[in-house]
Parts: sequence; C-alpha cells; structure tokens
Amino acid sequence: MWVMRCEEVRARLDAYIDRELPETERAVLREHLAGCAECGPEAAALERLRDGIRGSVPVYQAPAALRRQIRLALRREAVASAPTAARAPGWLAYAASLLLAVAVGSGGTFMLLGERQEDRIASELIDSHLRSLLGTHLTDVASSDQHTVKPWFAGRSDLSPPVVDLRSDGFPLIGGRLDLIDGKPVPALVYKRREHVINVFVLPATKGGLDRALIRHGYNLRHWDEGDLGLWAVSDASTDELDEFVRAFRAATGS
Amino acid sequence: MAWIAQRRRQTRFETVVLPHLDAAYALARWLTRNEADAADVVQEACLRAFRYFDSYREGDAKSWLLRIVRRACYDWLGRNRPAELVSLASEGDPDIPGHDPPAATIDADALLQSRSDLQRLDRLIEELPPPLREVIVLRELHELEYRQIAEVTGVPIGTVMSRLHRARAALRRAWDGKGCG
Ligand SMILES: [Zn+2]
Repeated sequence: MWVMRCEEVRARLDAYIDRELPETERAVLREHLAGCAECGPEAAALERLRDGIRGSVPVYQAPAALRRQIRLALRREAVASAPTAARAPGWLAYAASLLLAVAVGSGGTFMLLGERQEDRIASELIDSHLRSLLGTHLTDVASSDQHTVKPWFAGRSDLSPPVVDLRSDGFPLIGGRLDLIDGKPVPALVYKRREHVINVFVLPATKGGLDRALIRHGYNLRHWDEGDLGLWAVSDASTDELDEFVRAFRAATGS
Repeated sequence: MAWIAQRRRQTRFETVVLPHLDAAYALARWLTRNEADAADVVQEACLRAFRYFDSYREGDAKSWLLRIVRRACYDWLGRNRPAELVSLASEGDPDIPGHDPPAATIDADALLQSRSDLQRLDRLIEELPPPLREVIVLRELHELEYRQIAEVTGVPIGTVMSRLHRARAALRRAWDGKGCG
C-alpha cells in the first residue's frame, strides 16, 4: 500500500478538505490522518476554519433594486444597439407614398396594410415606446391640459393629433412628444394608467385599415383610424385596461 | 430584423446569466467592501457581459460572469483603492491583467497579525489582500471547484491552491490566536 510522509500529506490537506483529490490519494490521506498525531489535528483545524467561515460569514444577495435596474439597463442597451437604418428601411415613406398613390389614383380604393408591414410598424412603435420609458424623454410638452398639448404640435408636424382629456376615465394626460421614426416626426400623446404609460402614436391613416389588436414582445398594441389619421396605442398595461383606454379615447373624439 | 434579434439576445442573457446575479454581487461586495460600490460595479459588469455575450458559448455561465465581474472589481480597485493592488510577497506573478505590477508587496500573515482588534472571521477575510480574499470567497462561500476558481481569476490551478493555502494559514493563525480555536 502507498504510504505518504507527513510533509506530502500536509501539501495535500487543502485539496483533501476541498474534495479535489483523486479517490486513490484521498484514501491514503484518510488512513494517515486517522493515525498521525500531528496531521490529524491539522486537518481538523482546517475543517473548523471552513465551518467557521460558512457558519459566521454573511451571505450577500443582490438587492432587488439592483436586479430591476440591470434589467432596465439591458433593455436600453438592446434597443440602442439595434441599428436604426437596418430596422425599417423607409417603411413610413414607402407606406405614405403608396397610400397617396392609391388615394389619388383611384379615389375610393382601399388599402390594407400587409401583415409584414404591420409587423414592422408595430416593432418600430414598441421601440419608441421603450425609449420613452427608459430615457429622460417621456414628453416634450408636459401638461395635463389638452389645450396646451394640441397647439404644441402645430408647425412641428403635418399631422394634427386629437388630444382629449381622459382623467375622469382614469387615464390622465401627461403630455406630448415628437418621436423621430424613420427620420420623420411622429406625434405621440402620453397618458398614464397608475404606473403604466400609454403612448398614442399618430401616423397617416391606412385607408380602410381595420381596428387591430396585437401583442408583440409582451406589449399590447391597438390600432384604429380616425379620419386621415391612423392611431396606435402602445402600452405595457393589461389588455383589458388598454381596451378600456381605447374605448374612452374614441368616445371622447367621437370616432 | 435587428431589433427582434436584440430582444432575443436580451431574453437569453436574462435566462442564462442573471440567475448568477447574487453570486456576482457577493463577489463584488467582498472585493469593494461596500454595498453601493458593489452595486455600481456589478451593473457595469453586467452590461459589459451583455456586450460580450456573443463570445459566451454553452457552458459554465456562473464562472463566465464572475470572471467579468472580478475584472470590473479590479478596474474599480485600480481607480479607487490602488493601495490594495499589491502583489503577494514571494509569489512573484503580477497577476492582475491590465495593470502594471504594483510596487509594494505584502505578507498577508503579518498583515492579519498586526490587526489584533479583529476577531470576527468576516472582518479578517476583508483584511486579506484581494487575491487571497477572492479565493476564500469563491471556494468557501460560492463553493466553486479549483478549476472554476482558476477560470474566474485567470491563474493556473497550482496558483489557486497555493493562494488558498496561504489565505487559510493566515486566517487560522489570526483566528486561533484569539482563543477561538
Ligand atoms: Zn502526519
């Protein structure tokens, strides 16, 4: 049988208590420790230290706030690192020119957004919604007064958004913002439901566009047309709350 | 589309890497020795890890993350506590990547003996120089294997073993000497 001298044993004591020794060496050490008056207590002292550390030293855990903050920072990073140009090459201009052509050329011919186009728009809008939540740029004009918010868009965008006060419905107006989407200014109205933000984006109408309810990446979207305008409500509020919001909005604008 | 790919990447990162956030925070807490700085360092390290996430292949996500967090901690120490970045007496390997070999060296044993006011093990561990402190934390508190500690700290397994031995010897002498053993 393999016999170890004390100094060979000592050199392996840490690995022994850490269970990092091959089983053959482990058996030899166990034998030696049982019979040696010097190495045995040495091993026992090491084990006592280990138990002391594990028994008395605080176990630190990441604070919940840090966890939240990191998730937000990751999301911001993910949004920021997707190159804008690659995301949606000219969809808005493309859709707008197509719509114009249809409207002018055939007056009365309706045009539906294709599914892939709709997906692209939805992604763009969720992207803007996320940016609005994460940055410092939720509103350009912060006001709960519709008569302050609506005129602010005049001269800044060709599209004049319908601004309504929905406080009594539980959706206070927070303000308005101009988002650049595909290089074009798009008005966004900002409402709140408790801690949830609801962004209403105002685009050119898709003639004959149907009311749409979509869920993309965990966000709810609602789309409907009002005259020349195509409105998109985007939020992380629940489906029911967003439906309630759209009903209140449309009741107030009479659409 | 690039946007969706980014969201997928983010979701995968959250699933694979974030379960080890407690371990990352604990390591940073031990190396920076305070909560606010640990939180800052960990957040920065997680973003760094996310940017490098493409370089992560299937495998030991915990060691992968801890390695990045440890680097961030040493960067932080270099900026804020340069005096702690001493090399270990008679070890002779400038082991901190990206830093010049520090001028001073330290004898951990003498250091702990000189702090006769310290009796609690956690305080004694905090007084160890970072290269010894981290092997104790990784081994005893995170229960990492030698192989993983070597990966996290970027030194050979032999160095891990000798550091563990020295750290324990220093702790034992300081601790036993106070009538606890
Ligand atoms: Zn012996």
